Amino acid sequence: MVNGFVPTSLEEALKIRAANDVIPYAGGTDLMIGERREGAYLFLNRVPELKIVKREGDVLRLGAGCTFSELIEHPETPALLKEALQRIAAPAIRNEATIGGNIANGSAKADSALIFFVADAKLKLASTAGERVIPIKAFYLGRKKLDLRPNELITEILLPTKWLTPYYYQKVGARKALAISRLSFAGLMHIENGVIEHCATAFGAVSAVVLRRDDIDAMLVGKTVEQAKQIRGEYLAAYRQAIDPIKGRVSSEYRKMVCMNLLEDFLEANGI
Amino acid sequence: MRQGIVFQLNGEETVYEGSATDRLLDVLREEYRLTGVKCGCKEGECGSCSVLIDDKLVNSCMVAMGRVQGSSVVTIEGFSKTERFKVLDAAYASVSAVQCGYCIPGMILASNCILSKNPTPTEADIREGISGNLCRCTGYNAIVKAIQIAAKEGEGLW
Repeated sequence: MVNGFVPTSLEEALKIRAANDVIPYAGGTDLMIGERREGAYLFLNRVPELKIVKREGDVLRLGAGCTFSELIEHPETPALLKEALQRIAAPAIRNEATIGGNIANGSAKADSALIFFVADAKLKLASTAGERVIPIKAFYLGRKKLDLRPNELITEILLPTKWLTPYYYQKVGARKALAISRLSFAGLMHIENGVIEHCATAFGAVSAVVLRRDDIDAMLVGKTVEQAKQIRGEYLAAYRQAIDPIKGRVSSEYRKMVCMNLLEDFLEANGI
Repeated sequence: MRQGIVFQLNGEETVYEGSATDRLLDVLREEYRLTGVKCGCKEGECGSCSVLIDDKLVNSCMVAMGRVQGSSVVTIEGFSKTERFKVLDAAYASVSAVQCGYCIPGMILASNCILSKNPTPTEADIREGISGNLCRCTGYNAIVKAIQIAAKEGEGLW
């Protein structure tokens, strides 16, 4: 084949990746538009290891090559991830686009990445030298800058599912279908006997990387709802300070206001 | 020793000798002269280049040729030989769901995918199913109606 490799196992894919300067092709839906880099493609759609969906206790292992449509239809897919995937693009794109590709594209607007951030998912990266597992937050170094070595592929997303329900999720786009997020927000709060056991939030499309400030969210953890109400202002102020939105098609003022509105709505939905 | 990309094109085994990075849309139109596949936006926004890859709706502008190695690609030319097409064709005609026609090859293939997934779709299912296919003439209502008619008339085909 000219300019392409079509491996049928992960081992074969990693060997090709190590021995050649190739561009990984997952779903192709971002790669094929815009400016295209010259070079051979490493097609990953026939690698069965990248298609796994496997539950192991509280962690769901998702192959990086799972398409959005495959996961929307899969019974193991958590409701929050399913909702986010259903709101991406349109059926013809969801049939090809993959979660690994959405992450590897390196955009803070990636709607599936937002969910992996709020869930504190980990990524499994593999090369012929072996595997490593790192938090998704550590994988993103900046816009389009990733901690991915030239011989590595993203093979799995390890998604902790314990805190994924109940959830709060909002995607703000210019229209219903085929809309790129102007802003997206996901929040998870688990209250047991009036005590906040878990609180996690993530903001998409506001900065170079999805904003996930577990240090701020930690302010509410271990507090009763009543105590949380008392420090509500402090919590919101910390985020008001932390959110410094990028300017894009919409103004940064707009983005910030919507972020804060959604955050407040998330707290209110949880009685705070 | 390098060999070409082997795939099924409208049911026939085909070998493409060009680059694996070539765009499926361009190859279908220019190499195989399958000009029923329309080029609208070339960025996945309009759906006019829709084809079926292994029975799933895909925008051919976003696919590189290496992706179809070992797969089956069906364009409107291939689909037009099926019984399902005849039902959709008649249904679209019966409510004048076609005006300029540019979106229609993609729209017909999207209609087929809606009915393949669910032979008795709700109106919401239909609108979701064609949400990636833009039509600037009809305002969509006639198309939705045509798909509802096809679901009825084509009972048992999907």
